[in-house]
Amino acid sequence: MIKKINIWYLSSLIISVVVAIPILVIFSSFFENTSEYRIILRETFLVDYIFNSLILLIGVMSLTSVIGIVCSYLISFYDFIGVNFFKWALILSFAIPAYIYSYSLSAFFENYGTAYSILKGIFGEANYNHYIPKPDGILGAIIALSFSIFGYVYVLTGLSFRYQSQNLIDLGKNLGFSKKKTFFKIILPAARPSIVAGLSLVAMETLSDFGSVSFFGVSTLTTGIYNAWITFDDLTLAYRLSFYLLIFIFGLLILENISRKKAQYHSPTKDSFEIKNKIKLFGYKSAFAFIFCFFIFFISFMFPLLQMGYWTYLFPKYLFELNLINLISNTLILVFFSCCLLITFGILSNYGNRITKSKFLQSLTTFSISGYAIPGVILAIAYISFISFLDENLLQSKNYNIKSLFIGTIFGLIIVYFIRFYSLANNGIKSGYLKINYSIDESAYLLGYSKIKTFNKIHLPYLKNSIFLVIILLLIEIVKELPITLIMRPFNFDTFATIAYAYASQDLLEAAAAPAIILILISSVFILITSRFILKDQT
Amino acid sequence: MKNYFEINNVTFAASNKNKVENVSLKIENEGDVVCLLGPSGIGKTTILRTIAGLEKIKSGNIILNGKTISSGTIHIEPENRNISLSFQDNSLFPHYNIIDNIKFGAERNKRKTKKIHLDYVVEFLHLENIKFKYPHQISSGEGQRASLARSLLSMPNLLLLDEPLSNIDQNFKEEIQVKLKQILREYKITTIIVTHDSYEAFYLGSKCGIILDSQLKQYDDPYNLHHFPNSIEIVNFLNKGTLIPATVIDEKSLENKDLGLIEGDFIKHYPKGSKVKLLLQPEDLEHDDKSNLKLDVVDRKFRGTNFIYTLKTQSDLLIQVFVHSHHIHQHDINEKFGIKKPIHIDHIVCFD
Repeated sequence: MIKKINIWYLSSLIISVVVAIPILVIFSSFFENTSEYRIILRETFLVDYIFNSLILLIGVMSLTSVIGIVCSYLISFYDFIGVNFFKWALILSFAIPAYIYSYSLSAFFENYGTAYSILKGIFGEANYNHYIPKPDGILGAIIALSFSIFGYVYVLTGLSFRYQSQNLIDLGKNLGFSKKKTFFKIILPAARPSIVAGLSLVAMETLSDFGSVSFFGVSTLTTGIYNAWITFDDLTLAYRLSFYLLIFIFGLLILENISRKKAQYHSPTKDSFEIKNKIKLFGYKSAFAFIFCFFIFFISFMFPLLQMGYWTYLFPKYLFELNLINLISNTLILVFFSCCLLITFGILSNYGNRITKSKFLQSLTTFSISGYAIPGVILAIAYISFISFLDENLLQSKNYNIKSLFIGTIFGLIIVYFIRFYSLANNGIKSGYLKINYSIDESAYLLGYSKIKTFNKIHLPYLKNSIFLVIILLLIEIVKELPITLIMRPFNFDTFATIAYAYASQDLLEAAAAPAIILILISSVFILITSRFILKDQT
Repeated sequence: MKNYFEINNVTFAASNKNKVENVSLKIENEGDVVCLLGPSGIGKTTILRTIAGLEKIKSGNIILNGKTISSGTIHIEPENRNISLSFQDNSLFPHYNIIDNIKFGAERNKRKTKKIHLDYVVEFLHLENIKFKYPHQISSGEGQRASLARSLLSMPNLLLLDEPLSNIDQNFKEEIQVKLKQILREYKITTIIVTHDSYEAFYLGSKCGIILDSQLKQYDDPYNLHHFPNSIEIVNFLNKGTLIPATVIDEKSLENKDLGLIEGDFIKHYPKGSKVKLLLQPEDLEHDDKSNLKLDVVDRKFRGTNFIYTLKTQSDLLIQVFVHSHHIHQHDINEKFGIKKPIHIDHIVCFD
């Protein structure tokens, strides 16, 4: 064991421990007392929180699976008007954070909102407010979340459909299956792991969503956690609720694993990468496919974009009031330093794991990156409590004030980003590494290459696409990120997301539109850059 | 005399199940080629990986050119051994084309005075047409040839080849075997080849080791392995002869109840009357249409230059005989086949 400890081992260990801090803090809550709010909560709102979370979860998962699977099926197996456009256009929905979608939804359907203005423009003055539906509350949250995150199911299912063994599909034909039977008996079951992976991400995003549910006033476990912290100042209870939330998420994953048993779903043969001959659709079938995909594209991306654009056009003063240079430089600072840290340590950890082959280290990494499932709000407050604990118990006697260094500073914000997005960076780089057979390293050593030279000459050129992809994905996530930034940012430090949220929370949706549309445009550009990778083989 | 390469009492273990114990093996001269034969999963690859430094050893030692490279306390890192290993799955760098992959090998031999020329290797391994392709665009056999080229070009102190020709088309295989042997001899590249093909091993290796039951059972030159196997396990593994029961008559002969008297020189003394198992190889028997020793033909294989007949004795023993393919009379299955009497064998190999 001692012999194994070297620089790689040590650095991987440190990263894993740092990233695991929030999980450890959450676990530690079971050794502390909670306030009376726990009893109040148990007797009053807890059932509501759980019920609302469940309804939200079921609603979002149902809607995203229908939209995601149907879109990816149409695009993977059929040729119709605009199919090549929709293939990448549908992933633009990733550019719309659920909270901005919620603002758009509210702005469009509210009394005297955009829908009213359109009807008035076409048909003249009337009491349209009475007839315009109001998708607020839990329905609004379900719609906003579903259309902004269905992309997970769409992308992952699409990958599985496109890479499914042609033999498998040919076998269906050979057995005389109809298209419908082939889809339900062969294609869909074979894509199940991908669908489940997509839905797991959807479930995690849904349960950890704060911006959208708080905007629509839906009480979920996440808002309960936030309330426990802010309103009742009971951090321990907040952690316990988070723990239950985590258990809930892991429970879903374990259930799926058990139900799958030992069935294998992938046949990674060379021919599975062949481009299948798509079925050409004509007439009404082609029109239906086009309309369906266009509807989803329009509702998920164009609608919030147009709504925000419309308001920015109506109220241009809010756009001119934005301190763009300041906002852009703030965003760039966060993106640059976070990416540097995440990529460096992601590589270090992966390379350390690869070299040491330590099972303990690999298990620790797996455990620590499971923090991805923890809502951003919890991550931030767990981090604050950890720093406070260090400050009060260990360092106060030495007159160090680490709070001022780690809390309410850009440095602190970047560290929590690091914890939040480490799994993304680590997994992105890992997926690149998984494609490099270990015997490749051994070949390099046997050709006289040192470990560093092997990394520079063999790994790095091979990983550059994965690293590029991870940087772009981090950029999109950081630009959109809201709860951590809200809690951790220094005074007067704003990003497009926090400005939009600040206006929206004051009911100034028309003012939130300008930062929101800039945020959408930035994200869209980077999504378009990465679309080639996202739709290819990076999962 | 100092040996170029030595393995002394080393246990090679990838896992508790997969290990080869207490191996000792010597390569006397630089440039010698040694082949290791054995069934799949016995641990041959583990031996190569350990010699290359990819696995460590707990006891014994491995010495290359007078320097201990592995022992219980010493472990020289693979990159510092100048030993090249060509993996069975080729392990080409996926993001470099074939020619760039091969050039990686040349980087190591920059300082050497005698070099193998890149074009020469590319030509003899028939890699011209795939030079600019990427590893995923070529077949596994082509990948093996490219990997072999890279290893050869590195001019290592010791070259380790793991089933180097297993995926190569039969029509290329023999040609490559010939050229590989030439190049190894010409450039005095000491080589250990792992294979399960005994013909390949006997052709390429000046010595061969057979690994069975977690042990190096016999390490000898190919002639001796074929003619003087030291155990029944080796006979069964090489599968080139039949063991038949016989009784020792005197110092020059023994008898089998179906085949009669068998004469020859014993390589080991057995007392008169001993019951033994005699190794009968296909080349030991001679066809004779006029002989009164007739056996039933149960199978006939045409091998171009000869036929291999499988014959059944009255006691249901199956023995094989070679017959020149120009022999005018072919014997069909169930026909009688004459064996020249008395049977004479150059060297009689028996087991208790």
